[in-house]
Amino acid sequence: MVELDHDSVIDLRGITKNYQMADQNFCALDNINLSINRNEYVAITGPSGSGKSTLMNVLGCLDNPSSGEYFLDQKNVAMQSEAQLAKIRNYGVGFIFQSFNLLPRASVLVNVMQPLIYRVMPNSERKQLALTALDRVGLSDKVYSLPNQLSGGQRQRVAIARALVTNPAIILGDEPTGNLDSKTTGDIMALFDELHDQGHTIILVTHEADIARHCRRVIRLVDGHIESDVINTKEPENG
Amino acid sequence: MANSLHAFIQGTKAAMLAISAHGMRSALTTLGIIIGVGAVITVVAIMESLSATITDQLDDLGSDMVTLQAHTNPEQEMLGKSNKLSYDDFLMLKAKTKNVSDMTATMRAFSLGTSVQYGRSNTQTQIIGTDSSYQRVINTYPELGRFLSESDDLRRRRVAFIGSTVAEKLNMPSNPTGEFINLSGDWFRVIGLAETRGKIFGFDQDNYIIAPFSTIRSLNGSQATDNIDIMFRPQPGASLDVIKRQMTQILRQKHKLSDEDVDYFKFTTAEKAKKQFAQITNTVTFVAGGVVGISLLVGGIGIMNIMLVSVTERTKEIGIAKALGATPQFILFQFLIEALILSLLGGVIGLALGYGLAAMIAMFMPGDGGVMVPLWAVALSFGFTTAIGVIFGLAPAIKASKLNPVDALRYE
Repeated sequence: MVELDHDSVIDLRGITKNYQMADQNFCALDNINLSINRNEYVAITGPSGSGKSTLMNVLGCLDNPSSGEYFLDQKNVAMQSEAQLAKIRNYGVGFIFQSFNLLPRASVLVNVMQPLIYRVMPNSERKQLALTALDRVGLSDKVYSLPNQLSGGQRQRVAIARALVTNPAIILGDEPTGNLDSKTTGDIMALFDELHDQGHTIILVTHEADIARHCRRVIRLVDGHIESDVINTKEPENG
Repeated sequence: MANSLHAFIQGTKAAMLAISAHGMRSALTTLGIIIGVGAVITVVAIMESLSATITDQLDDLGSDMVTLQAHTNPEQEMLGKSNKLSYDDFLMLKAKTKNVSDMTATMRAFSLGTSVQYGRSNTQTQIIGTDSSYQRVINTYPELGRFLSESDDLRRRRVAFIGSTVAEKLNMPSNPTGEFINLSGDWFRVIGLAETRGKIFGFDQDNYIIAPFSTIRSLNGSQATDNIDIMFRPQPGASLDVIKRQMTQILRQKHKLSDEDVDYFKFTTAEKAKKQFAQITNTVTFVAGGVVGISLLVGGIGIMNIMLVSVTERTKEIGIAKALGATPQFILFQFLIEALILSLLGGVIGLALGYGLAAMIAMFMPGDGGVMVPLWAVALSFGFTTAIGVIFGLAPAIKASKLNPVDALRYE
């Protein structure tokens, strides 16, 4: 499992992201400075359009900031080649998408195996790891189903299993419980707690106060900048 | 290296999945290549088997057979000269030339014309006067009856050895030996029917009548206008060039030609005819190959078109793959291999189709009906389709590999 120490794994310095929409310039992230240590359990909240998802995409190396520097594991992401970025996305980060982003024509098993396809290992090992991940999210009985045969909650769990299967140091979840009922939400959050206990760094985007309260640290974004950054004590105080 | 191999294997798997997921579209895409390769293979196979058949037939004629004929060059022609090879020339050559077997003289029976009659039927044919040695030189054997004998020639018998077309055109009985045919008023007894040789390039090889040389010579009348062809075969191992030089010397001495005078005769070999024919078939093959090559190009553009559509359509899929850690190289391989498989698939099907088509057409062609697809045509087709796959697959594959993950994921 992941080694437990308190170096900062994520270090954002003056990260800004601008979008050119028609002839209007839209600033999704405005000079974000943020440091996240290993094994932190962070919630990013904020109203819609506040830049939560853009921040997640930058953290997951899916998007490049317009300016500023992003150090992941002490390495400047901007200096990495496309192939190195692919390796970071594959080995370093597990990304759970809000809209799942599953392959519609592939079975649950194939979907979960997909990140391992980009690694050199025997197929039997890929399958074994995928089955283990699916077992952890409680989908052992849906291995050969297609995504469209599953409920929203089940699809969400496939997406989580796909993020877990590579055993990444950092798990990024964009509204990971957004589509789930309260019972399943509880199960999923318990799973995140467990992953946190195992040493993973967990960062979740959420607009649900319950989820945010579950996390140890809550960062609130408004209009592309950090409005508050609070460490949760035992009692919840920020929503 | 291990990573490239891994990307290659997994890329192939992904490409196979994508192709089978769009079965109909993949089939239509490969159609252009199928038709292109099929056409190349058909044309080449037919030309090859045609040329093999003809070469066989020329070999039957005896590729080592040499014909010596009178030759009048254009300058002499303008002066009204017409050179001839006489029977005396033949006798002298036969007596003096070494290392030659089966030398024979043939003469056109111009006095008899070309018309032959039997009962109420008549037909046009060529009438050749020659002797018994002709059979060995030209490899003509009787199906029924016999060939000319030495005594036929010595006694100037009015006998004829006929080709199967003559017998057929004249509605003769299935065994025509012993029947009488009329050549411009002179009656000849049929003594043999030749084996059927078939056609070369539409030229009937069985439309002839052979009669004894001396008979034709006497019927032709005036000996002064003799013009004969001489055919011979060098003995095994003998140099044709030496024999030619020897004969040239004999004939030039006999006619007292000075150094300035040109030869009044020339040598022709079946080998030369074979070479000329090979040249013709090669030209036809390459021209036809070039034309169908264009259809391969069109097929390649079809593949590129579909690959571009495929990349656009699967933008989101590419985005997911990149987000999960696929390298640009991996995506490049996947789409390149997909294009390659499509074009190679077209190549294989086209090859089978072309072979089948050529085999079908070959059934209506002369010869033993075998089809040969030369290895170079197969190699060329595969080389070409591979090149098409790579060249036309490269642009869409590069496009796919360069997509930005977040933009690709947002694509609906």
